Order: sequence, then C-alpha cells, then structure tokens
Amino acid sequence: MLQEFSYQAPTTLKDLYSLLKKRAGKAVILAGGTDLMVEMHNNWIAPEMLVDIKKIRELGEIKFSRKEGLSIGATVVCTELIKDKNVQKYYPLLADAAHRIGSHQLRNRATIGGNLCTASPCADMGCSLLALGASVELGSADGVRIVALKDYFTGPKKTQIQKHEVLQRIIVPIDMANAEWGMRKLKRIKGHDLALISVAMARTAGVMRVGIGSCAPTPVVTVDLPASASLDKVKEATFKAVSPIDDVRASKEYRLFMTGEYVESVYAELTRGRSRK
Amino acid sequence: MLDNMDKKNLKYIGKDQQRVDATEKLTGQALYAGDLEFAGMLHGKVLRSPHARARIKKIDVSKAKRLEGVHAVLTGKDLDYRVGLYLVDKYILAKDTIRHFGEAVAAVAAETPSLAQKAIDLIEIEYEVLTPFLEPKKVFDKKAPLVHPDLGSYDYVEAVFTPVPGTNIANHTKLRKGDIDKGFKDADLIVEREYTNPNVQHVPMETHIAIGKWDMGDKITIHTSAQSPFTVRNLFAHAFKIPHSNIRVVIPYVGGGFGGKAGIHLEPLCCCLSKVAGGRPVKIQASREEEFSLLPCRSGLVYNIKTGVKKNGKIVAQKMTMYWDAGAYADYAVNVTRASGFSASGPYEIENAWVDAYTVYTNKPFGTAYRGFGHVEFSWGMERHMNYVADQLKIDPLEFRRINALKPGSKTMTGEEIVANTGNVTSCMNAVAKSINYGKLTAGEKAREKKTGMKIGKSVVALQKAPAMPPFTGTVLILKLNEDATVTASHSLTDYGMGTYTSIAQIIAEVLRWPIERIRIPIETDTDRDPYDWQTVASKGLLLSGNAAILAAKDLLDKAYDVAAQALRAQKCDLDHDAEKVFVKHHPASHITFKQMAVGYAYPNGNAICGPIIGVGRYIAQGLTNLDKETGQGSPALDWTFGAHGLIVEVDEKTGAYNIIKVASAYDVGCVINEASVRGQAIGGMIQGLGTAMCEGYIYNDKGQLLNPSFTDNKIPTSLDIPEEIDCIAIETPQIDGPFGARGVGEHSMIAVCGALGNAIEQATGANLTHMPIRQEDVWKALQKPKSASTKKAKTAGTSKSKAKGKKK
Repeated sequence: MLQEFSYQAPTTLKDLYSLLKKRAGKAVILAGGTDLMVEMHNNWIAPEMLVDIKKIRELGEIKFSRKEGLSIGATVVCTELIKDKNVQKYYPLLADAAHRIGSHQLRNRATIGGNLCTASPCADMGCSLLALGASVELGSADGVRIVALKDYFTGPKKTQIQKHEVLQRIIVPIDMANAEWGMRKLKRIKGHDLALISVAMARTAGVMRVGIGSCAPTPVVTVDLPASASLDKVKEATFKAVSPIDDVRASKEYRLFMTGEYVESVYAELTRGRSRK
Repeated sequence: MLDNMDKKNLKYIGKDQQRVDATEKLTGQALYAGDLEFAGMLHGKVLRSPHARARIKKIDVSKAKRLEGVHAVLTGKDLDYRVGLYLVDKYILAKDTIRHFGEAVAAVAAETPSLAQKAIDLIEIEYEVLTPFLEPKKVFDKKAPLVHPDLGSYDYVEAVFTPVPGTNIANHTKLRKGDIDKGFKDADLIVEREYTNPNVQHVPMETHIAIGKWDMGDKITIHTSAQSPFTVRNLFAHAFKIPHSNIRVVIPYVGGGFGGKAGIHLEPLCCCLSKVAGGRPVKIQASREEEFSLLPCRSGLVYNIKTGVKKNGKIVAQKMTMYWDAGAYADYAVNVTRASGFSASGPYEIENAWVDAYTVYTNKPFGTAYRGFGHVEFSWGMERHMNYVADQLKIDPLEFRRINALKPGSKTMTGEEIVANTGNVTSCMNAVAKSINYGKLTAGEKAREKKTGMKIGKSVVALQKAPAMPPFTGTVLILKLNEDATVTASHSLTDYGMGTYTSIAQIIAEVLRWPIERIRIPIETDTDRDPYDWQTVASKGLLLSGNAAILAAKDLLDKAYDVAAQALRAQKCDLDHDAEKVFVKHHPASHITFKQMAVGYAYPNGNAICGPIIGVGRYIAQGLTNLDKETGQGSPALDWTFGAHGLIVEVDEKTGAYNIIKVASAYDVGCVINEASVRGQAIGGMIQGLGTAMCEGYIYNDKGQLLNPSFTDNKIPTSLDIPEEIDCIAIETPQIDGPFGARGVGEHSMIAVCGALGNAIEQATGANLTHMPIRQEDVWKALQKPKSASTKKAKTAGTSKSKAKGKKK
C-alpha cells in the first residue's frame, strides 16, 4: 500500500454518524474494501481517513420478516448472502447474482452494500436488486431515509448518498419473495470477469421487471410490467431502458443483441417454470 | 548423444522424477528477487509517459529532489547510455522524445516505495504531443512519422540484421528459395489472404524485479528476476563500457519469464539510481500495470500469405509477407522477425518460397521474445491459411497438411535437408487426429449437439520450431565432487519454471550411475560463481546443457578412474564403478570409494595424489551457419521439434459462444527425459496459447494509448477456461545430437493452437476468422456475414464421415 491514512472503526451507528459528519468529504467508508483498495492502489483516490464499519454489529445482519421482507446489512458479504437460508428460499435470484461476483476470495470479502456504493454500471447486484424492486436505507446524524434503488443510482459510480451518509442496509420487499427469476451474465472468460452485460428478471403474480447491467451509465430497470406481459412487450421495455455504448469490452450492437437474447431465454425459462407448477 | 541407449536399462531417464525445487516452492521457502532485502536498500519508482509520441519540452524535478528521504532523481538528460540486444536503440530513460505509451521518463529512489511515488508525483513535465505512427502496414508511406530518425547511426549486429535508415524498418529479413515466378505459373490455383495478431502480454506470476548496487570503482552487483544472467552482464558491460569482470549478476528463483525477462530491462536503471544514491542498493519492482507498457510485450503481426497449389494438393509456390509491429524499440523483435522469417511456412515443404519479413517500428510498447518466438503469431495465419487453401481445393485440411508435411528428403525453407532423425510431424498429426476422432462426430458428440443446440467442430494443425540462437551458442556445466561423494553442479542455465534442472539432474545421475539424491543443482545462478551460458531461451536448454551434463559426468568419472588407476595400480580399461566406488573388474575387492578420492586421495602413510575432483562438460551447437542475407539460405536449426494439436469445440451459432471440449497435443520430443515435465510444458503452453486465442490482446485508441493496461480488461484464462479434456502424446524419434536423443519442447505447445481453435470454429459454423483473439463477439460478428459457398462446403467436408477417415494412416 502506497498511501498514508488514518483509520477509525466505530462500534455504534451513533459514533459512525458523528464521525462522518465531522469528517464529511475526507473520510471514506471501508467495508469489504475490494473496490476501495483497488482505487487506492491505483491512486485514483487518496482518502485522509478510512472508517471501517465492520465493527458495527447490526450492519452485519441479514434479516427476513413477513412484514418488511429481506434486510441486508451493509457489511454482509456475498458468501453470507449466498448461504443464507431465507435468501435461498425467498430470493434465490440474489444468491445467484452474488455468486456471479468475482472469485471465491472476493466473495468472501466483498459486501453487497459496497457493490451498490461503488455503483459501477456493471454492478452484479445492481440489476438483480433492481428487478426485485429493492430500496436502500441511508443513515446519518440528520436521520434515516429510504431511497428506491431505481432512483439511487445517478450516474457511473454516482449515487444519492451524501458525504455524511452511510448506506446501512438494503431492503427487498416482501411482495417479491418467491418471485420467479432468471439471470444471465455475459463475460469474456468463464472465470471471474466483469459483466459485459447482465440481465436479471423477476416475476410475481402482480409484476414483472427486468434489471439490466452494463448497458447504460448505471444499472437500469424496466418499468413495472404486468406479469402477463408478452415477450415482445418485455423486450420493448428492456430496450427502452438501456442505452449501451461501444467500449473495449464489447460493442454497442453486441450488447443490444445479447440483451435481447438473454431476455428471450430467461423469459422462456420463466414460462417453462410456470407451466411446471 | 547416448541417443541409442535402450530405455529399459535406464534408471532415471523417462521417469517421473520430482522437481528438484518442489519443496522450496511449495513451502514458500524459495526466495525470489522481490523477497531480497539489503542493508540501506532504497526503492525506485518510474514516471511513465501518458502519450505515445511526444517531445519533452520541459521537466522540472526540483520539488521531487527536495523531498526528504529521496536519494536520487534521474531524467533522460542525466543518462547518455543506450542499450539494445541486437540494435542499440533505447535510452535508459526517454531523452527529449517519447516513443510509446508507458515509456520511462524519469525515475526516483527513496527510502520507501510510498516516498518514491510521492516524489514521482511531484515531477512536472510539459509535453508537445505529436501524431504517432501506429499502423505497421503503412511502413512504406513516405509521409509516415519516423519513430527513430537516427536509425542510420545506431550500432547493430551486421552479420544478421538489415535496418533501413530513413524508414521505420528496424530489420528486413529476406528468404528466396527456388523460383517463385515459375512456381506460381505452374500452380493450378492461387490463394491469398491476410491474418492479424495484436500485442499480448507475457503475464508471468512474478513481475520484473531488479536490485542494483553501483559501488566505487564501477563495481556492479545486480540481483534480478531475469532469464539469462550472462546476457544481463554482457549488455550492461557494453552499455556502460565497464569490464565484464566488474559486474556480478545473481538470479534467484524466478516466477516465470516466457521470454519477457530474456534481455535486460530494469537493471540499468536500478544501478544508475544506486550510483547517484552513493552506492545504496536500489530495488525496482514493476507493478502488474507496469508490466503492460513500461516493460515489453509480444509484437503484433500482419501476415499476408499467397499460395500457389496444384490440384493434387501440392504447394508449389508461397509468397509470405510479414509486418511485425515491433513497437518503439527493436529489442528481440528483430530476431523474432528473422527466426519466424525462415520458418514462416510452418512444417510444410515449399519448393519455391519468398519471404519478406519487416520489423516495423511503431509508437507502441515494444515487443520482445515470447514463448514461441514469432511462431505462435505466424502459425495463427498459416494454419488458418492451410484450411482456407484446402477448402478451395476441396481436399480435407488434414490430408492437405499430410501432402505438404516436411518428411525425410524434404528441404526446409532455408534449404536444410530433413532426415529420418529430424523428427516426424506426420506421426504427430496422426496421433492427435486419432485422439479426437477427427473427421466424424461420435455418437456421444451427436447427442451432445442435440442436447445443447450447439455445433461441434474439429481440427488438426501442425507446428515446428527450432531454437532461434546464434550458430555458435555454447554452454558449460561443471560438477564438483563433495567430500561425501555428492556432486554440486555449476552452470548458468536458469530454471524459471520449466523443470529443466530436474531433467539435468536425471541425466547426471544416469551417466554417473549414482542415486539422484546425490546430485545437487543450486537454483541460484551467479556470474561470479558459475560458468558461461548464452541465454535461457529458445527451447535449447535441455539439448545444450543436457549434453554438457553428460560430458561433465563422463569427465568426472574419467578423473575418478585416473585416481583409482594410480591408487589401485590398475589400467583404466580394467576399472568399473558402482554408486560408491571404483573397482578392478576382475578383483572387485580391490577398490577405492568416491569419498576417499573426492578431495584428493591419501595413502595410509599420508602421501596424497590428484587433488579435489571436478568434471567439466563444454558443449557448443555444431554445424550451424548464419543465413545468407539475400536468400535466407543456410543451416540455422540446432533441432526441429515437430508437433500437432487436435481440437474439438462446440459453438452456439446464434450468440458466438463456444466451449473447448478437447485438445490433444503430440510432440516429437526425441526422448522423454521427465514425463511430468513434458506434460507440464505441453499443457501449460497449450493453455497459454489458448489464452491468446480466446481473450488476450492490447487495445489502443487512435492516439496510441493503451486502453486495457491491466487484468480488468486484459483477461487471461482461469482454471474454468481450460478444455474439458486434455490429451498429451509424446513421439520419440531420437535426435542424434540430443542428450539420450531428446530435443526441446518448452515453447512448442503454445504454437498453432490458436489456428486450431479458429479452424474448429469455422468447421462447426462457417465463421470466417482472420484476427486473433477470437472473442465470443468476434464469432458472432463473423456469423452475421453471409457465409461463402466454400465455407459451407468446408463444413460438410469436415463433418462427413467418409472423406477424412478414408485417408487416415
């Protein structure tokens, strides 16, 4: 490590809030660190202080209730989400999406909250949580506010989080529990890679959504579609949501083609799944 | 040498002997250059250019110099030394002119890496950005900017290379065999196409690391992760005009090289920083990102092949034009051009051949040696082209290869005659064809197609390579007998992962007839301790050093017999030995042990004879010549190792996604010395080749800036990307001058496998691919184009059951 910084590890949310308020703009939150360390290694950022939030007990919890749905604390790592019984039972799409992140080593360290805070257009948890209509809870000394994930991303690596705020948990609504689901991720190798595009779909009796990654400046989601929407309607809504570009990873036209392909194949999977029931 | 021994009587040759360095590596005890620390050691950092071509208008290092803890700051102005392997064209730090993205512009040595980086960040530079030259094919464009306007004044190896001053041509290699015009006139069909490869990175696990110390009186000590200690020493001596004996180069364990560590790289800079810092050692450890552009890569290639063939499938003429994208400095690229120039046809006989191979300077990171030394790159084009021509002829591509394969009596492109002991490429092709059930789909494969909806394709390709080395390449191995009758070897071949040391230990144990546990081969090489070896490159190590090992072991025994003959009052011809002693054949009780004579034999009364015993083995390549500069004719090849790959792929015609189901590889290695090492080389190189075929490669913008300078966007294969099934086959046609008949196989596994993938994908789907790498998107794009009638037919020809099979051996 080539940088010097000070380090704090508060144990309560209250201490965290006051620290963030005092050092707003100078302190950076450290959870898993799998993105932060890379950014510091490359000298893209040089924070004065790292605020480690792993010692705050409640941020490490995954909770499920019939009332609220699923709550994922900010320091829950991918592996914990993948292994969680309630996630496996009610929101298997999330376990699948988390499993597509990086390698074993990364999944043991990388947090779901961090994935949303880095807010890369290719965030693997972005498209899946969007499809499930998730929201995030941002806390600060000023209080707690809940932001729908579809409004949370504001640009590449940009979010609604204010300098003195912390993303403290992710909430996945109860009405998306047991949703039918499917996910695809296009990569350059079979081993760990960023998504060239990713498509996650979720459908309940009431709604169907497609979340798409790496196909716009942020992860995006279609409008809420009726569960009975035809494939054509779903594709139409998908293409309306995306605005891909050419880059070193893929061309715009291939991204569009594969997005359509994935929507088609997941849609077929959902339909087959329904007929089995 | 010893090529006619019956393997049944051999104890170590051909057996799986555990690596001599296995324990040290597996337990982490092995020390690499990065692990080394010296008293007072400083850390160096380099400032790299963000531009591909620019003039340095101003550099201000005053702030960096003022920073406490900084002991040396250097820019190009301070260093008037140029280095270069064959063409002396590179300043240690850029002087006035920037020639590639990532080029070293300034360097700092400070007490910690972090301080050094801080100082680097304080250096202010003003550039005048210039239009870069990026397209090697535009080399004849008179208006193209010159990368080296002073090319005419550079020193170079005149016997071998031909730079063209006033152009961007660093070297033009010519080959003229037979009568090309007549050949094309006689042809029934002429087929021409162009193939391209990008720059790729070697990606050794250990990056480049060097520690340099410049003491008073110009005494230099270098610890480095280099492949070849004596090359570092020699080039250093020439660049700084310092006596060779003043320079000591030590190479500890090395974590992979693949050619990228073959020459001299960070060593001069470390030493220059050390000199300014009053002789404190300076370590520079390249970051992974620096590997991509500060340090060299593999040259790109544009390869145009025009082939004249008879209807019966015999190639009668071939014109080959190579534009090697060498980047900003010639380094090894000029020799890659030469070595691939004389080999450019692949393992096929071309009666009338014409090669123009140009090493073209461009404003890109510079190219160097990379496993295969040009053969991986041109074999992509050549093996794709062989299928393309076969397709036009409506001959099965494997049969087309068999028709044209080099065989005893054939003449190579340089006019060298192939004999029975050169090796057998047809056997290699037949072995892999059998392994993949070439020419048909098995019932299982048909069922798989039905289940997945993907199309399965198969291909067989062939390859060849000889070491690219001076005709006078030599080596020495010394065996020092220790007091307890163990021996310690001293030599300067390095083992940066290949396993050659273990093979050499096996050879020594076999010749001495001693247990292998008594043979010690230290991993570290040291130019002050060990005798000369040219370089550890070119797949020549086993052959040359193996022979030297045989000679050293024989010499040691000869010396031991001398002592025994005197001590036992016997003639040498009446002596024999076992693992412990030399004895008189007809009076075995009359003997002396190796221990007794190890450091000099003493009689009971104290009289002594002979002194400590050493065995010396010197070996030099025999019968090779420089190539004629006008015709490319001559004898460049120490040994030709032939090989073949068979590959099975399945492809999704809609999306372009593909999976490699199987790769079978066969090499005529002459003699397997260590089976696990041969298998390791075979699999490792094949996967490295597939990496460049599937996903690796530099991507630049139109300003010549590298857009994927790290693992984020320059992917390499992982364990999940390897073929589902791998088969390795060794063919053993003994090499008469190889140790126990063996020849090298370090690079060969990487060659031609890219073409195998392209051909199998084409056979499955008709996708016409001429550029590497073949990403999923590239297959998709190729499939968007209307398929030509011929590729459709090619597909039928490959999968139909009769055509290829009927002609199998």
